[in-house]
Amino acid sequence: MTTDLLVIGGGIVGRITAFELAKAGARVILVDAAQNAGSTANAGSLHVQMQSRFIRIYPEHAPNVERALPYYKQAAECWGTLEACLGDMHLVRKGGLMLAESAGQMAFLEEKARREETKGLDVALLDRAELDRVAPWIGPQIVGAELCRDEGKLNPLLANMQLAKACADLGVTCVTDRVEGLVVTADRVSAAGQKGHYRASEVVVAASWGSGALVRTLGIDIPTAPEPLHMNITEACDQRIDHLVQHAERSITLKQFKTGQIVIGGGWPADDHGTDQVPGVRAGSIVGNVALAARLAPPIGALRIIRTWAGMNTTADGASIIGRLPGVQRVVMAVPGDAGYTLAPLVAQMAASIVTGRDPPADPSPYSPARFAA
Amino acid sequence: MTEINFTFDGDGITATDGQSLAAALTGAGRREFRVTAQGSPRGIFCGMGVCQDCLVSVDGTPNRRACMTKAADGMTVETQHAFPELGTDSRLPETPRVRVLTPDVLVIGGGAGGLSATIAARRAGADVVTLDERTVEGGQYYKQSADGSLLDAQQAEGAGLVEDARASGAEIIRGVEIWGAFDGPLVLAERDGAALIIRPRTVIVATGAYERPIIVPGWTLPGVMTTGAAQTLWRSYRTLPGRRIVVCGSGPLNMQVALELADGGAEIALVAETAPSPFLHPLRGARLSIHGPALAWQGLAMLRSLRRRRVPVRNGLRLSAVEEVESGLSVTFRRKSGGTHTVQADSLCMNAGFEPQNEILRLLGARMTYDPAAGHLRCERSETLETSVPGIFAVGDCAGLGGAPAACAEGRIAGRSAAAQSGHGDAYDLFADQRALRRHRRFQKALWQLHDVSPTPVGGLPHDTILCRCEEITVGDALAGYAVTPGHLGTLKRATRVGMGRCQGRYCGPAAARLIVEHTGEALTDRSFFAPRVPVKPVAINAILAAEEALCSDD
Repeated sequence: MTTDLLVIGGGIVGRITAFELAKAGARVILVDAAQNAGSTANAGSLHVQMQSRFIRIYPEHAPNVERALPYYKQAAECWGTLEACLGDMHLVRKGGLMLAESAGQMAFLEEKARREETKGLDVALLDRAELDRVAPWIGPQIVGAELCRDEGKLNPLLANMQLAKACADLGVTCVTDRVEGLVVTADRVSAAGQKGHYRASEVVVAASWGSGALVRTLGIDIPTAPEPLHMNITEACDQRIDHLVQHAERSITLKQFKTGQIVIGGGWPADDHGTDQVPGVRAGSIVGNVALAARLAPPIGALRIIRTWAGMNTTADGASIIGRLPGVQRVVMAVPGDAGYTLAPLVAQMAASIVTGRDPPADPSPYSPARFAA
Repeated sequence: MTEINFTFDGDGITATDGQSLAAALTGAGRREFRVTAQGSPRGIFCGMGVCQDCLVSVDGTPNRRACMTKAADGMTVETQHAFPELGTDSRLPETPRVRVLTPDVLVIGGGAGGLSATIAARRAGADVVTLDERTVEGGQYYKQSADGSLLDAQQAEGAGLVEDARASGAEIIRGVEIWGAFDGPLVLAERDGAALIIRPRTVIVATGAYERPIIVPGWTLPGVMTTGAAQTLWRSYRTLPGRRIVVCGSGPLNMQVALELADGGAEIALVAETAPSPFLHPLRGARLSIHGPALAWQGLAMLRSLRRRRVPVRNGLRLSAVEEVESGLSVTFRRKSGGTHTVQADSLCMNAGFEPQNEILRLLGARMTYDPAAGHLRCERSETLETSVPGIFAVGDCAGLGGAPAACAEGRIAGRSAAAQSGHGDAYDLFADQRALRRHRRFQKALWQLHDVSPTPVGGLPHDTILCRCEEITVGDALAGYAVTPGHLGTLKRATRVGMGRCQGRYCGPAAARLIVEHTGEALTDRSFFAPRVPVKPVAINAILAAEEALCSDD
């Protein structure tokens, strides 16, 4: 198949990229592997404050995340614009709470809040009394929290479908295939899939953790790795949890969708079973993740978990990878560094603007793949 | 019999001790138990804890299954609304109760296959723990009565098996909800809020089957239930599902239950069998009587008994719609010969074959192949009924439909084999059981050739027909979702929410998998169906909390 522009990866980044490119008037083919891909398994947290999980597990990447904080805030705002333009995504931006259970954790949050404030984030520290007013469901052991008013949540199932519909309306051709290699020639780029070949004048690689392997055939080593993460969802109850909830020291995100269901996740591991099998769920993850949620929010204890799943997060060096490959023509990268769903609209719009030559919504130069050049 | 009293939405209800809430409420003429997010009433459907449609709130605890909850004196039962209030009590539950078990053989399921396996493994000298979801063992075939009384030879035979299993020295734990199965093997379960953690040497999965519904407009209306649900109401709780009943679908269970309900005093307005009359296929009938003369004779005797009671039995009628009318339900069939046939009733029972409860097997990675004749997956097994996963055995209908006599023979073989694998007995001389098993399998093959359990392709249904009961997703929604993001069943699920509800896709999943292959032209395989996931049944967060401490101190 031949087209103007090719987007590899049909997750949220690929869909928004295809939408932006088609909106600019290009003929676009979107190729997605469909099995166990990077996205469409996301839980819909809009992260802005630094996740304690990330700082703990990837301390060496933390400075990259901290530098990018204003850009997380801008991305969360992009979601509001997208919803206004494409239709209901159950977006709620009432902020995010990071709970503390000890004076030591509170001190950590104070220092974190101070640094985040210098990056322009709207943060505040809440004591127990203030917390009781906004989150009367918290467990008795919680001493306080950091509130980041920039955070929020949305229903990714709705957002994914709104984007898929928008792409279809603009004539984007969606193909299910796994692209295994790229060849760049003087006048075009060719992608070899398991089912077909795709030729275009430029390609955007939005293949999350698979992006590194895809461009390795072009001689660039980008260390994207899959990080399979576990998630749980309950049956519905009345609306009572407004915030995106996290913990100062332990891995958890907890939020309530407009459907009334509570989604519990936040970085518990799942088992990677390869590209053509769904990831496996670990006993320790469902038990540990859900028990922690029950301690933080005891009234949810009577609800039942009805489903779990795992999605693939992507890790590289903590910063997004956006822009042209060094020394290679016609290949533009669009890979969020962390919190892929939150950053998706901004990463996609920046990558699309590099292809179309229009003004980017933010300066992409700090995220250039040039940093991976040998 | 002791009488008990409880309230439902403030009204006093009198029931017999031992009855399920579903039976007690049905006996009191109540059939709407919950209201969905879109405002539709729902009641009993599967009667066996699978569909999650009969939810009620009990003493302030939301989402309890009325069919699996025993009615108790003084209970406050309320209609379950879609968005229950959680209250504001922020205290953690009391120190959770936990039991850790490490048997040689864990048997999952207390039906024909599970009880037979229990007895065989125990007699070989193994330490056996058997878990059953229901409060009385016997499973769906031997369906025991709550008060211990015996209705007929089938119940008496089951009572004998239950007695033998209890006397065997195995520990049989009833009322257990298994929600997790992991490599190890490690099995996680809940009983009355307490956690069970089981690390067995071998596992015999004997989880049986649930009924395949007939998906048509109106199949979610209160009063429409599976034939097995109606049978449980009558056989276990002596409660009739209604006064005037239509039974439809295909297979021998429909005739049997129609006869039982007629004997119980119900008016059976019609028994509608999808397949043409067996007398039009004398060869198939002859084959059946060769492979199982006694059972074939039983079938003919049932037919005669129904005729004697003037119950109309009609072949070649396929259910096409159910509507709510003033007098109850208006049930419409399409005749094979053309035209329609409409009957009024207050209850409709449906059974169009069975779906194996193979969730635990699939979770543990047991290899499956699709059986086009039965329309469902079959678990690959060795001569000793071990699956492709070492130490995991499968017996009975959970491995693919085979009927209760086959399940018993399989249970005996697997019980002795699992015991031998954990160091007890030698499991030699399985010849007699294996020969019996071959005979039962030949009979089953002949039996199902007389029936028609081929699922109706849902793509041709009116677009406003509910496909996913839980999430209230219609056939039209599914087709529209497929059009936007074509792909596999997982893609359709994420596009439309089909299969995302409490029954975890057990009813819509097989139908939606067929909808996909109608479009792709691919053959059905294990991968065509929803990926297996924990929890295998919804599990309360507090029950997981209870499991956590024991698991953490364990590791």
